[in-house]
Amino acid sequence: MKLQRGKLLVDPPASASSDIAFILIIFFLVCAAVQPETGVAQILPKTEEKTDKRDQSKNIEVSITPSSIVLNGSPLKLLEFSQRLTSALSTKTRDADRIVTVKSAPDTPYPLWIKVSQAIEQAGGILTLELESDRVISVE
Amino acid sequence: MKLPRKKMTASIPSAAMGDIGFLLLIFFVILARAQDDSHVRWQPAKLKEVEMVASPLASVTIDTGFKTYLDGKEISTDELAGALSQILGDAPAGKRYVFLKVHKEAKATHFEPVIAAISEAGGDLVHILEPENISSTQ
Repeated sequence: MKLQRGKLLVDPPASASSDIAFILIIFFLVCAAVQPETGVAQILPKTEEKTDKRDQSKNIEVSITPSSIVLNGSPLKLLEFSQRLTSALSTKTRDADRIVTVKSAPDTPYPLWIKVSQAIEQAGGILTLELESDRVISVE
Repeated sequence: MKLPRKKMTASIPSAAMGDIGFLLLIFFVILARAQDDSHVRWQPAKLKEVEMVASPLASVTIDTGFKTYLDGKEISTDELAGALSQILGDAPAGKRYVFLKVHKEAKATHFEPVIAAISEAGGDLVHILEPENISSTQ
């Protein structure tokens, strides 16, 4: 004769469910907190009103529009712009000579602006923004 | 004859401790979320060479509607420099990180005044961007 075995029922303790939820929240919080962010750093000296415009003509001037990048009056593609700027800055040693004044058209898109800004930095230039209100920002 | 009073015992049920902890955690999470800007909708621009960046003292965001936010709260560009100066306080140069999160469709009219304000407050500007090879998820 075969004896019937008593079935073993294993119920998870209900009192532990809140502890499980607690641990799960901690886990997801930690996961969210450690999500890294990536970007590009720029050191900004304080904004100043530029009153002396005598030296401005010596600076390299870049104009950005949605369709073009103009370096000292010549419209260029981004790659060509980087090369021309690198060669123009390679002979300059003083910080004052490496200032690149950037003037953007109001409808210049941010992705293009950031690419030009990175190209200037990689070429060794000191980015300076020329704003509509005649304020000048130096970006090293 | 004096009748003996029945003694009332009040004990905290230990089973409720987990629930109390859970509710406290929810409370602090909601408090913390009031200071962040994760509710602001924006899509980062992409760039080839980006690097990991340090944690900021403040975060400025230009969202999909081209509104400006400082640490998740909407602010005008005129007020931004003053508000940033207060947050940055006397932090030494090199540790005054301000994250700038600009929606990829923003134009110069939107982001240049914000950069000017960060510059005026003496912040160390960090553009938050996405590596060009990874697809945008936000």
